[in-house]
Amino acid sequence: MGSEIIVVIVVATALIFDFTNGFHDTANVVATSISTRAMPPKLAVGYASILNFVGAFISLEVAATVAKDVVEIQANSIGLLAVFGGLVGAIAWNLITWYFGLPSSSSHALIGGMVGAVFVAEGADSIFFEEGVIGKVMVPALVAPTLAFIVGGLAILVLYRIVGRMRPGPVTSGFRFGQVISGGLLALAHGTNDAQKTMGVITLALVANGTIAADDFHVPDWVVVSAATAIALGTYVGGWRIIKTMGSRIHKMDAAQGFAAQGAGSTVILAASHVGFPLSTTHTISGAVIGSGAAKRLSAVRWGVAGNIVVAWVLTLPAAAVIGGATYLVTRLFGTGAAGPIVVSTLIVIGTVLLFVRRSHQGAAPGVVPAAEGAP
Amino acid sequence: LIATVVDWDALLQVIWVSLVAGVGVTAAWGFALLGSARAIEVGRERRVAEAAIYAVVGVAGLVAVVAAIVFGIVILTGD
Repeated sequence: MGSEIIVVIVVATALIFDFTNGFHDTANVVATSISTRAMPPKLAVGYASILNFVGAFISLEVAATVAKDVVEIQANSIGLLAVFGGLVGAIAWNLITWYFGLPSSSSHALIGGMVGAVFVAEGADSIFFEEGVIGKVMVPALVAPTLAFIVGGLAILVLYRIVGRMRPGPVTSGFRFGQVISGGLLALAHGTNDAQKTMGVITLALVANGTIAADDFHVPDWVVVSAATAIALGTYVGGWRIIKTMGSRIHKMDAAQGFAAQGAGSTVILAASHVGFPLSTTHTISGAVIGSGAAKRLSAVRWGVAGNIVVAWVLTLPAAAVIGGATYLVTRLFGTGAAGPIVVSTLIVIGTVLLFVRRSHQGAAPGVVPAAEGAP
Repeated sequence: LIATVVDWDALLQVIWVSLVAGVGVTAAWGFALLGSARAIEVGRERRVAEAAIYAVVGVAGLVAVVAAIVFGIVILTGD
């Protein structure tokens, strides 16, 4: 009975993480459309949440990678508590970076949290450090934003070559309409890659509980539907504060740049999803945004802000791992039953409410999107 | 170490697909805009043949974008 309660808590925590993932990453998906005035903020967020939901049903390759290729979980309560610790580590890091307005990576927070918690719980032998963490997470994590930077830069150079002599009016209108398509693809890509990570973690918990045999990996339908719903709801609720950083503080974009950045970001994420790489949508779209700006004019990019983002990226894996490991240890103070997860979950809920109250008093509200106001 | 642990086939596939699709689709959209805008402009000046050529360019660009998106989603959902 105790393990069943832990499974329920882990699944609920995973879905809350999925919600915070959508909440945190809304900015990545919609900021470009909003900053170029391709779509009004509320419409952009609603549109993105619907396509996030749809995207979650496209593929299961990333879920398989997260569930099988990064860590190995034992089918016992220790394994379940490790999954719980990893999730809490990721949620805590997401909340911290959200609070300070830093575009971090929910994906790397999740992987980092899992690795840290499993490392503390079951030792280094349970981490697939080479083929899993390095081969399927860290190397793609470096390649993806670089690739998006190059694709975004090349795309905007080609676009300017094609439409450079046209009158600005039709070009801007055309690219704003194009951004409805490219923004939709980006939301679809986000749902595909990010929702699958939660599916992978829930499946991992089900394996730890013995509900699914380790040699019969499959993602149950209810897991797909619930993960899709959670990320879509999180996206809808949105992360308005981060929109400011992503949309206007890196550089001011025109509609063609927005279209190129979204196209580059979505193709890289979708291609990676197809082969099962759990990428960071944050890293990838940031790379594309910076690439589209740098190709036009290096000085148009506010490299200081871009540098702050890079620092946050670098911190994500180790910070989430430390929090994940620490959470596991705190949970184990209460034994291997359900008491630890119940206490830690309660503390996380209280901490989250306090952060939201504090944040709301500081005035982050929907509609406050300077990028939209200041865009040309 | 990295050379042996990375799935290079998958990574190279991501790289070339992203380059071709990312640059190709945006370029195709650019041609769709160019073709449609120019077709309207020269059509107003009654340069019918030129307008028809631009219209073909515009339609071809649009078809390429739609085809690439549909093809991509079919490939993804085919797993």
